[in-house]
Amino acid sequence: MNLETDDLIELLATRHQPIRRLAPPRNRALHWLSIALCSVAAVVVLMSPRDDLAAKLTDTRFLIEEVAALATAVAAAFSAFCLIVPGHSRAVALLPTPSLAIWLGSLGQGCWQAWLNFGDEAWRLSPDWVCLPAIAVVGAIPALTMVVMLRRGAPIAPRLTVILGALAAAALGNVGLRLFHPQDASLMVLVWQFGSVALLSLLAGWGGRQILAWRHVGSA
Amino acid sequence: MTETPEKSQRLTDLMRFAQDGDGKAYFDLLRAVTPMLRAAARRQYPVYNRQDVEDVVQDILMSLHAARATYDPERPFIPWLMGIARNRIADAVRRHARRAAHEQIVEQVPETLLDPGANMSTDVYRDPEALRRAIDGLPNQQRRAMELLKLREMSLKEAAAVSGTSVGALKIAVHRAMGTLREVLSKGT
Repeated sequence: MNLETDDLIELLATRHQPIRRLAPPRNRALHWLSIALCSVAAVVVLMSPRDDLAAKLTDTRFLIEEVAALATAVAAAFSAFCLIVPGHSRAVALLPTPSLAIWLGSLGQGCWQAWLNFGDEAWRLSPDWVCLPAIAVVGAIPALTMVVMLRRGAPIAPRLTVILGALAAAALGNVGLRLFHPQDASLMVLVWQFGSVALLSLLAGWGGRQILAWRHVGSA
Repeated sequence: MTETPEKSQRLTDLMRFAQDGDGKAYFDLLRAVTPMLRAAARRQYPVYNRQDVEDVVQDILMSLHAARATYDPERPFIPWLMGIARNRIADAVRRHARRAAHEQIVEQVPETLLDPGANMSTDVYRDPEALRRAIDGLPNQQRRAMELLKLREMSLKEAAAVSGTSVGALKIAVHRAMGTLREVLSKGT
């Protein structure tokens, strides 16, 4: 055995201390969800829920999209917590796909329905730039909590992990946004809200290697 | 990677004990996995020399150390270990490819430089005895940093792990040492 490698092994063993094992991904996802839901609920209360919220809670399409967004957040969080544990298959990253498909499908179906009812008028898109910062603000505490929790793991697939973590936070941010921001036209929701979620996730993933990096020099 | 169930179970047990704070078990574990890591590095990193492979093995060991809290004793140990190994080897291959892209192969390295001043300093550094004396005269921390980084050609993180200092402190020590050597050697000419 190479002498330097021997030295390193001895050094690592000498510095080794008892460690607290990371909880399983399912438990960590639930832990994250409890913190994130509290923070989103607080923001919704602070921003005042929309006046027609009681009526919206009986609207099937609204409920499907909210539940699908919430399920996407939960699945993405679970996938992200799995990916920071070495040995997990990357296929776990596909877990949010079904709920994401339902969410997108419902929005797509809404656009189609609007086109059948209103013709070309349905494709009129007005600017609603508030969605991007609003989703970022509602999802800020969930996102920060997610980063802190992910950094306790191993950055095996940093970009993919951060995309999933950001998707979880942004999807939850969108769930909160729809409770106080009265925007229901499917095309508007698809472009400004779903688009913001996708953009925030991809932007975060772009910086994935900076957010999650091996820090073994510091802990060795 | 095909390991016998007994060996796999032994490694799982060693890791569990190590997580509970058993330093001897951790030492045995690291010793036991090192040949496996070396074989994996050679297999996936076949064109590189022995020192490159050893660098990758050390990087994997340090990554294992950093990620040891993520291991769940209910799951098999070897897929966990190989997950880390594959990641570090892939990074090493990427680093090597980047480095290779910036290297230029020349048939003959020029022995002299056009600028006379540049040649003078080259000659100074070619006096190994003067250089050895100058290094011996450095303060302890600077000498140790020079030895690890310049003479033994370790990476910053390896040198930091071996010397027990931070990467920042090493950078400062080397920077100061280089300044001192330049000054001492230029006075000698």
